[in-house]
Amino acid sequence: MPTSTYLSNPVVTVNSIDLSDQCTAATFTQRYDQLESTAFGDTARKYVAGLGNHEITLSFYMSYATSETFATLENIVGGTVTVIVKPAVGADSATNPGFTLTGTLLPELPVINATMGELSTIDVTFVGGVYSKDVTP
Amino acid sequence: MKYRIVSPRVGTPGEIYEPEIWVNLGALLDGGFIEPVDKKPAPDKPAKAKVSKKAAPDATSAQE
Repeated sequence: MPTSTYLSNPVVTVNSIDLSDQCTAATFTQRYDQLESTAFGDTARKYVAGLGNHEITLSFYMSYATSETFATLENIVGGTVTVIVKPAVGADSATNPGFTLTGTLLPELPVINATMGELSTIDVTFVGGVYSKDVTP
Repeated sequence: MKYRIVSPRVGTPGEIYEPEIWVNLGALLDGGFIEPVDKKPAPDKPAKAKVSKKAAPDATSAQE
């Protein structure tokens, strides 16, 4: 049984623009390249961490209105920005860390993803960048 | 240069925006999220030259 409950209601900031109210899913993966270091004499494969290769995948409702999803993302696709995702509203702290990817690239942007009778949504993935965790209020 | 917040997604509209060093200002300006507080004329644009009341000598007639 879980000892603490986490209501999935994170704050998502892209290039200092708060897009939380358009975001429905966020996955921030801290990852390092996996370099094999197995050698003669080993009886199992061994690996060491290589370069950081982090990524963030965000799901947004698509909106072409002023200051909304498209206006935010169309000016940064193909460029690097800083994306911050934290578990809840409020200041950064040890229990509400601001997970940050600095200098991350948005390589592609689906400009239309429309289905009859459904709200339009898009998934975007930011790749690369330097990972950090801010716990300072 | 100072910037003013336009969109509530960045902060309180009307307040001065102090960008962090990592912020892509071009994207914020292009998207209309912020605007410059004081728009100064471009430095490479020279002031409009005064037109002399005296007419310049006609080049074609001078050649003849």
